[in-house]
Amino acid sequence: MKLHSRYLVAIAVVLALVQIGVLASMIMGRAAILRDGREVVLEVLPVDPRDLLRGEYVRLDYNISSLPIELFEGLDPDNADLATDIVHVRVSPNDEGIWEPVAARFGAAPQAVAAADEVDIRGGTFLRNVTGARIIAVDYGIERFYLPEGEGRAVEENLRERNFRMVVAVDDSGAAQIKAFYDGETLIYREPLY
Amino acid sequence: MAGYLSSVRKDIDRWREAGLIDDATASAIAAEAEAHHRRGFSLGSILALLAAILVGAALLLLIAANWEVFPRLARVAMIFVVILAGYGGGAVLKKRGQHAFAEGLWLLAAIAFGGGIALIGQMYHLSGDEADALLLWGGGTMLAAAALRSGPLTMGAALLAAAWMVYLTVEGGAGRSTPLIFPLLALPLWAISVWTGSVSARHLILMSLMLFAALLYLDRDITWALLLLAAVSAAVFAFAVLRAELAERVFGLGDGLAVQGLLGFITGMAIVQADRNDSQQFLLMAAVVFAGVVAALLLAGRGNRALRWTAYAGFIFELGIVYVMLLDTMLDTSGFFLIAGLTLALLAWLINRVERRIAAPRSDIAGEGA
Repeated sequence: MKLHSRYLVAIAVVLALVQIGVLASMIMGRAAILRDGREVVLEVLPVDPRDLLRGEYVRLDYNISSLPIELFEGLDPDNADLATDIVHVRVSPNDEGIWEPVAARFGAAPQAVAAADEVDIRGGTFLRNVTGARIIAVDYGIERFYLPEGEGRAVEENLRERNFRMVVAVDDSGAAQIKAFYDGETLIYREPLY
Repeated sequence: MAGYLSSVRKDIDRWREAGLIDDATASAIAAEAEAHHRRGFSLGSILALLAAILVGAALLLLIAANWEVFPRLARVAMIFVVILAGYGGGAVLKKRGQHAFAEGLWLLAAIAFGGGIALIGQMYHLSGDEADALLLWGGGTMLAAAALRSGPLTMGAALLAAAWMVYLTVEGGAGRSTPLIFPLLALPLWAISVWTGSVSARHLILMSLMLFAALLYLDRDITWALLLLAAVSAAVFAFAVLRAELAERVFGLGDGLAVQGLLGFITGMAIVQADRNDSQQFLLMAAVVFAGVVAALLLAGRGNRALRWTAYAGFIFELGIVYVMLLDTMLDTSGFFLIAGLTLALLAWLINRVERRIAAPRSDIAGEGA
């Protein structure tokens, strides 16, 4: 007890450094995806803005958010209790430069080796069972775009009127990270590393 | 605590008037009681903690506003500075004996850690990771509580753990319902609450375990979790009453342990009962709950005011459930209440006789109120 009280300040400083270290490593991890990850361009489909603890954001859907069940490998649609909610989706660019889903699989990457212009993105689904499902909704952790307070509604109006594209960085494990936001061909936002 | 002090003062006055103690002893006892109880509870500490929570909320909202005047690296730096200054400064104050502000600063630093997690989510536009964020925040707070030996941080960690469990249940998907490992999380929390001497945190942990059982039923239809809760709670109650000294050494909750036992029993039984509302078991369970409440009153109600009020509340609650849900028909329910009422009246008559015989030689001592 005496020992604890004698070193209390040192303990507190170490504790603070540990927590700061955890936060800093989260930042470094995200920055690493941005810096080293492969770039994928997705089409943006707007949903709606909301407020929460982390502030105002626009909720986004992508052209790879709803996948037809035929895309999935090794799935028996008549008896499909899911052992995992992790989905690996393989995307490949089309003629307009938008990356489209070409294959998907639960729990692991699609079996065929990915071609040079193919990237695997990791996502998750909220389903427990896919019996009878035609479409599987997948989240990739990139469905929110945070904005300064008060700007969410205006951006959402624009999203509804025009085509927007998102450049997404994907690391080797398939983790996706928003990188740049385009209004048609115009860059409206680029994520700084830090 | 104020309630105890005022009742002790009344007792002291009565003893002095009866000539049991002289004026000097009376004021000495009153002074001792006051000094002893001021140690356990200080308005200053509570206000310091409330202040820390308000400042912390201001910090969280400042981050949420995503105010561009503040570049994001400056926001990150601000969070790091609050964490370092909060934990470090709090430790310095603690060593100088300023316990209230020390705990307040620590709490602020722990909130800033959560704010940092939220800020990173905002910076990199993360989504769908709220449960992980809560768990990380709770884990960091748990570490801080253990390292700094802080009661308020232990309570914070217990609340965050419960928030994590509720979030996973409410926002659930595949593999994302009520986390079955929650009781395992409660173990280190309990150990830390022993190390930090936080009785309130132990109460929170017990109540979050009750919530866990209720969520298992609501989210996963596991009815036996509630029956287990009721049975374990009854056992804990019996332990608290029959082996009071050992129970105090194991749980360290004083009178509160029996209250938690009764609360868990009523919670478990009432929810199962609501589930079986159109079967014979409903009647049986209603009888068991009434019997349990009355037994709790008889066994531990005399010296335990909180338990008495919990029992009254449980009694009224159960009465309400049976009244609203009915046992088939109004006549059946009426019959059930009549039998239960007559049983209680008989019991009351018996107890009165026994008490009068015991109390006969000192009949002028008034019974305890409420």
